[in-house]
Amino acid sequence: MKNKHTISRRNFLVKSITALSAIYVVPDIFSNVSAAKPPNIEVSSKTRWGMSIDVDKCVDGCTSCIDACADENGLYGFDRPETDSQWIRKLTLKDIKTEKITVLPMLCQHCENPPCCDVCPTGASFRREDGIVMVNQHTCIGCRYCMMACPFKARSFVHENLTKQLTNSPRGKGCVESCNFCANKIDNGSDSTACEEACMKEGHNAISFGDLNNPKSRVNIAISKKPNRRLRADLKLKQTVTYSGF
Amino acid sequence: MYQFTIRLVVIITIIASPNTFSHSDNPHNIPEGKSKADFLEQCVEATDIMRKKHFNFLYHQRDKTVIKGIRTKKHSLANCVDCHVAHNQQGEPIPVNSEGQFCQVCHIKTATNIDCFSCHATVPRDRMSKNILKDNLNKASDLQNKTDKLLYYYQITLNEK
Ligand code: HEC
Ligand code: HEC
Ligand code: HEC
Repeated sequence: MKNKHTISRRNFLVKSITALSAIYVVPDIFSNVSAAKPPNIEVSSKTRWGMSIDVDKCVDGCTSCIDACADENGLYGFDRPETDSQWIRKLTLKDIKTEKITVLPMLCQHCENPPCCDVCPTGASFRREDGIVMVNQHTCIGCRYCMMACPFKARSFVHENLTKQLTNSPRGKGCVESCNFCANKIDNGSDSTACEEACMKEGHNAISFGDLNNPKSRVNIAISKKPNRRLRADLKLKQTVTYSGF
Repeated sequence: MYQFTIRLVVIITIIASPNTFSHSDNPHNIPEGKSKADFLEQCVEATDIMRKKHFNFLYHQRDKTVIKGIRTKKHSLANCVDCHVAHNQQGEPIPVNSEGQFCQVCHIKTATNIDCFSCHATVPRDRMSKNILKDNLNKASDLQNKTDKLLYYYQITLNEK
């Protein structure tokens, strides 16, 4: 007697391939929907924030990203450039062989293998689930090991009493601080940082930010258009901030 | 006609809502020496629980926010300040931790010392309040020296390999 439930070899293959492709394709479709996070949901590794900086588009002498960062985070100084806090700065690089000068914005590179977190004695330096490397100032004891460990000099230390902090950006004496990809903005649903917005507003579009897990994010589009590279790739820190055009 | 009336009502509601329903931050509505809390019945939890446990809520919330990125308002320190900050004659907020103010009076009585306000804003202050940064010296031009000093360092490191 013939079993009605047997399926032909051909049918079996077709069905299993359909099922498999559903497993692979569906999550892709969902992850494309949006990275925007409602404020009451905790961050997860489904999103992985990253930034791509096109050095060719970065205009020499323009400081709009730096100023926007200072405004967003209420960073004000004491006219002591050696020690004043700076979360993003312009760096001049000179290629020793060709003598070519490159100016690029330097900020926390949000490494996947962050040396700052490796050396932190209290666990205050940590990498959040969504890839943002930051300082938990509530547990930071101000030892500054992280500043020494960072090959990019991305972190600053607050040396003096501050008084006019912004509500959205608490910061104070005795703690290390650095770029946190505007975590407060992002947690409230934004998918952009103050520096990226400022750069777009200037019309330079050198900075592209977004979710690296989302193929349609601005950062991934920028990366697909132009080969990006990591600074000091030999250190294998796997930074999520990458550079193109130099 | 019925359709039209409905639409009109909807449109008017939408236009008028920002003024009627939202927690507008206009300090001028608040009389001298008063805070928003003075016009409300209850704190974010029952008031007697708050009196005993407000720091537990705050400690909990700060880890939730900083480590997990949860930004709910209920137990947020920013929100406490927003609601409890008193206003002076000009309608400007008075720092919550200054003498005689909400987050200070009880703590003096109980000899509690909190350092939260060495970092956290003591009045609601958003990035739009331009006056904060008028003496902002941390502008790029001043930091050019710093950049130059790093030049040498990066010459070596970035060009290896
Ligand atoms: C929406 C406004 C609002 C917010 C936000 C708010 N409170 Fe309150 N709070 C009140 C009101 C109103 C009272 C007074 C209730 C009463 O008199 O019974 C109060 C009372 C208190 C009391 C007791 C005061 C006393 O004299 O006994 C404490 C302590 C307190 N709040 C702390 C906090 C803390 C800490 C936060 C932040 C987590 C906070 N509140 C957030 C409105 C608020
Ligand atoms: C060294 C500076 C510093 C000190 C001191 C400090 N904080 Fe914070 N606090 C921060 C920073 C930085 C954040 C993160 C803000 C962000 O990511 O938006 C934060 C965030 C928070 C948050 C979540 C944001 C909010 O407004 O709800 C809470 C709650 C909080 N802190 C409570 C406290 C309490 C309570 C104290 C005092 C016992 C305190 N903090 C002392 C720097 C500090
Ligand atoms: C009703 C009086 C009262 C008010 C109002 C009040 N506190 Fe307190 N608070 C206390 C007392 C009492 C303690 C100490 C409790 C203890 O040590 O057991 C305390 C402790 C704290 C602590 C923990 C300190 C520590 O050493 O662990 C924090 C943080 C704190 N308060 C924050 C605030 C903030 C922020 C406000 C203003 C929004 C505020 N408090 C308003 C009475 C008050």
